[in-house]
Amino acid sequence: MSKKRKEVTKSIEDAVALIKDGQTVAIGGFGADNHPMAIVREMIRTGKKNLTIVASATAGLEIDLLIGAGCVKKLIAPYVGQEMYCPIGHNYRKYAESGQIEIAETSEYLLYAGFFAAASGQEFFAWRGGVGTSIPKLNKDLVEFIDPIGKTKKILAVPPLRPDWAIIHVGWSDAYGNGQHLGARFGDRWMARAANRIMTQTERIVPNSVIRKNPFMTTIAYADVVVEAPYGGHPYAAHGFYKEDVDFILDYVKCSEANRKGDSKMWDDYLKRHIRDHYAYLDTVGIKKLLSLYTHPIVSW
Amino acid sequence: MSDYSWKEMMAVVFSREIEDTDKITSGAHTEIFFAATMLAQKTHAPNLKLQLGGSVTLCQVTDVDVPELPKTSTGYELIRYAESVHDHPDTFLFYGAPGGKDYYKDGSEYRDVNHFWFADKFFVGGIQADKWGNTNMIGLAGKDGKMSFRGPGTIGINDIAVGVRDTYVFLTAHDKRRLVESVDYISHPGKKVCRENEFYGDGPKWIVTPKCIFDFDPDTLEARLYMTFPGVTVDDIKANTGFEVKTATKVGSVEPPTKAELEALRTEVDKTGVLRH
Repeated sequence: MSKKRKEVTKSIEDAVALIKDGQTVAIGGFGADNHPMAIVREMIRTGKKNLTIVASATAGLEIDLLIGAGCVKKLIAPYVGQEMYCPIGHNYRKYAESGQIEIAETSEYLLYAGFFAAASGQEFFAWRGGVGTSIPKLNKDLVEFIDPIGKTKKILAVPPLRPDWAIIHVGWSDAYGNGQHLGARFGDRWMARAANRIMTQTERIVPNSVIRKNPFMTTIAYADVVVEAPYGGHPYAAHGFYKEDVDFILDYVKCSEANRKGDSKMWDDYLKRHIRDHYAYLDTVGIKKLLSLYTHPIVSW
Repeated sequence: MSDYSWKEMMAVVFSREIEDTDKITSGAHTEIFFAATMLAQKTHAPNLKLQLGGSVTLCQVTDVDVPELPKTSTGYELIRYAESVHDHPDTFLFYGAPGGKDYYKDGSEYRDVNHFWFADKFFVGGIQADKWGNTNMIGLAGKDGKMSFRGPGTIGINDIAVGVRDTYVFLTAHDKRRLVESVDYISHPGKKVCRENEFYGDGPKWIVTPKCIFDFDPDTLEARLYMTFPGVTVDDIKANTGFEVKTATKVGSVEPPTKAELEALRTEVDKTGVLRH
């Protein structure tokens, strides 16, 4: 044995430097949970531009933040908001209504169908959800056709959706890119499988023996790049580690709402306070706040 | 005025509508529908199944204590109530309505699970709804193809509509901006569109607002006023609706929440009073 197995861990700076302006980047998680926020903030800090962003099936305000920071050219998202905290993202509204971003109208399963087509190497995936709605009129990538078997029903052909990158938050990962979700996986496995490259953000790097102890739990096998970022999901929840920070989310909602209404100073100030090196960001949040977000693991792994 | 809120009234109305053998899927505005489902389990439907947005199937929640109604449909804390958790895409593939004796066919012990493969009931919000029951989550049309108001997005409503037996459209306010002749964009197709496209799902059964319930004329498939909420007049509804309000032969009045319903709702389901305001 002369050659050592290759480790794929990188610093957050080196990892995010791999993402180029104009690329298509998918951001994992769902709702208020499991978003790779440390990487999102680093993308903003390093001034990424003209990105096509593919959101999760129910995105949170991580997408709204990328839009408000000026990184996004085109958005593929079934939803941008935060349920009861903020029904519609404010920057999303601002940029959509002024035509500053292009939106590919889609839905949860139309998004998954695109991932599935990409992951399985098919020309398209067939799905009826969306027939009879405005979605195919607003998204020209979707093509309606008549079921060639039964000859009557309308079906949508959903072409492959192949992001350059899938950025996925995992609970823990080994240094070889084997990641495990320690809670709900949402659509992360499909998103990752559809992408050309996978970058995971992990709460902790663990020894390979931890992964081998329960390989059934491995959700992302062989990510191309692994970034360790404890509390990297903040202000959102990371299943198995901490819950969402309601105060921080509401502060975001307030500042982004001001931006939508024309008070860009409050928004710029928000970005100045939050778009920083990951550990400086955690200092801003404060140790007391971070520790208060602890959730006890519900399931023993 | 009444000693209950419209949110409590809505939760009670939906709770009464839920049957023991139902599988319910709840989307956004989790609080009202989680409460409705929990209340139904407590009062008359111990076997119903609830699936929350993200990936959690909750079954038999009657035997667990819920300290607070959830703010989001995907939180880690919800997993403590779950009997199964799956990947979100699987929601559309593998977790259809379970068997139940009220939907027997030909005396069989089991129902045809794949007929309504998503769920029996689903609740759909909207920024607009029209007389056909089409609802719009996409936005309001502006000039030059732009939107004057960008809505939240369709989420998975269109996907679900194909395979859910009955949807219930709900609006959190009743006015002419929300209840319109024709929606600007369609997220959730109404009954007519569902029938024309031969969906498994039968489209909306009701449109529910804080003032009333509309059902659909079985012949024309247009909305008609079915029941008013306590204290609301037909004239009030006509004055605040953007399409011509047709009425069922006899417009009923929704029974206010009973003492038992309110007590179960407040002491066993919504302990912190989220729905009271």
